[in-house]
Amino acid sequence: MKPIYIIKNIFVVAVLAMASCKPEFKEVVPSKGSADFSRYIAVGNSLTAGYADGGLYLEGQQNSYPEMLAGQMKTVGGGDFFTPFFTQAQANGSGYLKLTSFTATGNPVITTETSNLAIRAQVTDPTFGPLTYYTKYTGDINNYGVPGIKLLQITTQEYGNLNGYFERLLPNTPPSNRTAYLDFVTAKPFTFFSMWLGNNDILLYATTGGAGDVPTPKATFSALYNAAVGKLTGTGAKGVVATIPDVLSTPHFNTVTLPVLLATVRATAPSVNALYIRTGAGTTRAATAQDRFVLPLGSAGVIGVPTGGVPYGLSPLNPIESKWVLDPEEIAVVNDYVSAYNATIKSVAAAKGLAVVDAYELLKEYSAGKTVNGATVSAAFVTGNLFSLDGIHLTPMGYAIVANAFIKAINTQYSSSIPIVDITKYRGVKFP
Amino acid sequence: MKKKLLIFLLGLPFLGYSQSFQVNLQGQKQIAMGGAGTGAALDEASVFFNPGAVSFLKQNGVQAGISPIFLKTSFRESGSNITEHNKDKIATPIMGYAVFGSPSNRLRFGLGIYTPFGGAMHWDENWTGKYTVTSLDLRAIFVQPTLSYKITDQIGIGAGLVYSNGHVDLRRAVPLTLNNGQSGMAKLEGSTHDFGWNAGIYVETISGVSIGVTHRSSVNARVKNGDATFDIPDALISSFPTKFNATLPLPATSTIGFGFYPSDKTTILFDANWVHWNKYKDLSFDYDNNSRIPDSDSPRNYHDAAALRLGFQNQTTAKLVLRAGVGYAFTPVGKGYVTPEVPDADRVLLSAGLGYKASERFNIDLSFLYENVKSRTERNIETNLDGSFKTLVYIPGIALTYKW
Repeated sequence: MKPIYIIKNIFVVAVLAMASCKPEFKEVVPSKGSADFSRYIAVGNSLTAGYADGGLYLEGQQNSYPEMLAGQMKTVGGGDFFTPFFTQAQANGSGYLKLTSFTATGNPVITTETSNLAIRAQVTDPTFGPLTYYTKYTGDINNYGVPGIKLLQITTQEYGNLNGYFERLLPNTPPSNRTAYLDFVTAKPFTFFSMWLGNNDILLYATTGGAGDVPTPKATFSALYNAAVGKLTGTGAKGVVATIPDVLSTPHFNTVTLPVLLATVRATAPSVNALYIRTGAGTTRAATAQDRFVLPLGSAGVIGVPTGGVPYGLSPLNPIESKWVLDPEEIAVVNDYVSAYNATIKSVAAAKGLAVVDAYELLKEYSAGKTVNGATVSAAFVTGNLFSLDGIHLTPMGYAIVANAFIKAINTQYSSSIPIVDITKYRGVKFP
Repeated sequence: MKKKLLIFLLGLPFLGYSQSFQVNLQGQKQIAMGGAGTGAALDEASVFFNPGAVSFLKQNGVQAGISPIFLKTSFRESGSNITEHNKDKIATPIMGYAVFGSPSNRLRFGLGIYTPFGGAMHWDENWTGKYTVTSLDLRAIFVQPTLSYKITDQIGIGAGLVYSNGHVDLRRAVPLTLNNGQSGMAKLEGSTHDFGWNAGIYVETISGVSIGVTHRSSVNARVKNGDATFDIPDALISSFPTKFNATLPLPATSTIGFGFYPSDKTTILFDANWVHWNKYKDLSFDYDNNSRIPDSDSPRNYHDAAALRLGFQNQTTAKLVLRAGVGYAFTPVGKGYVTPEVPDADRVLLSAGLGYKASERFNIDLSFLYENVKSRTERNIETNLDGSFKTLVYIPGIALTYKW
């Protein structure tokens, strides 16, 4: 064995090793399992549309969970996916909330984006009040998310004249739209669907302090949910449904708390030690820690301002109106309806063999605070990374967490292996 | 022959080398022999490997070497189909030794400069684990003046005082979104100045086997008043810290080593290291402003871990020495504690090298070390980063020696 050979060999090994270099893992071959993702449609409300920061705008649409889902489905035979995007020129869509600065005391200053909107017309209907219509979208649609839609409204033929986000997708102008939402989304054949509906059937009741809406009756909800799933699965499509999140764990009900309100009042009136509210049942009493004030009260600038000579909220003679606060009786109503709706969703999904995302548990878990790949996520307003500036809808990072929950539920139910998205690629609330 | 040798080298069960952020690149001859060298009076690097053997060196000399580390780590998040790679960034630990005093005297002097701890891990600024770490540059350079005394012709003892000069630069993304849509960034940078020691006994038995026992003390690398720099939204900057304190324990290592001499031309070395990693319980950062970030206390809970090293040396011709080695290092990092700055696992190592005597006074030594760190898949208990790490390391090295 001549030394020169050995030297050569050492050299060869060294060069080979350093050139081949990067370690690789066993290749992943994503599989569609027993599902067919060639035409996936997303059925739902604002959460499905990518609504965020109190509005629907292009960046939110691009970061909707159905967009993420469809992107990942492409690795397992998913086809083209179209979201009815606003154009670049009208990228700000309906307008949205922006964090522009902080006050000296550290409170966020939030303003509304009003440039480059896609608003076509604003009218006041004698029956339904103010309505906003947007620039029409005419193209293929896979993401049928319509902000504001209730399960209650999916079979209403006139609804296309009353919801500007739905009207925008329809060919006709009000009042001549006659296509119900459920018929519209199922008009073209599809192989897979996601349906996340039902949130708005309780949400508006909650966000208006129990004063501005009534929850959809449980029996109606159950009948419509069965009808919707029946129609969506009627042609053999498979799908995934999601439960309704716990609205009470969102920043909307946890940011403007009694101590926060009291501290603000005491800054100028140190002797004040109670706030008074009118409950949903009509009683007036001092507010307690069990009452949940809604987020917009914090910036409404009404507390302490005299109306009829009495400072608002500081006296039983001029209590905070019921629309600003969910009292424990109303909270119980919200919890009761959410749990009944969710029981319906789970049982219908089980009966039809659909994948289920338990969004109620998911968002409750993340709202309580969780570390995701080193990033802290919680329901903290502005800094929590999960909820956008409206305190109800999610940030892109929040939607990515939801997208991965959908992917995991689909993979479990249909033995597929759709790859997850990288949550850390998506942003939280944008700072000034 | 070439083919056979390749198969032999590539087909060996891979054996290991360094552990976590301990760096075992202290002498080119020893690197080429799997990192063994405690039980022999090989060369000036005995100042590090066994101060007790320094008085047995037949010549005085001074050597200087460098071992650039090519570190290749891959990560794949569980459930993802995307593999991410660390950046190509070469760390260059250096080593230099000098041995003085008359070889006929019982007392000899040595000086060593080496890098026993360090790391250079650079990930993409937007990688999946960016909120845990985007880059770590860590090095502790030790300077060690040494005395070695030959008690009898068979037994030598030696000890050195260690001055440690450390530098750390840790960066990661902060989960706050800047106006341009990018994440904030944090940079923690600081220096350390600490002391330790290194002592050893060297015995040449009458049976011909030589034995070395050494202990290198732990050093607490304390960063005082390090700079914490944050690139975050202006509105929050006043609530973030500007200074931090932290302590990184550099563990003690106890070693027993043996040298066997089956022929005049052949040496076989075996070392067993016990690294006292259990000292590394947590990595704590104490910030000067806690209004937004609390002091952090990341659990590490390392446990003690061994490394085994076996090396061969053959004086092939009058001018040429060939070396080879294998080793295995057990990871000190328990399940759930793997972090992307040091994605450690049990590792196997294969090494080879040669020495060439260019003249009576000048020697050149070359080494090549290959480390194969086992693939490891788990969820970190602190960050919830869940995925697989796999690391390969390639370390060529060279040293020049002048003897007198």
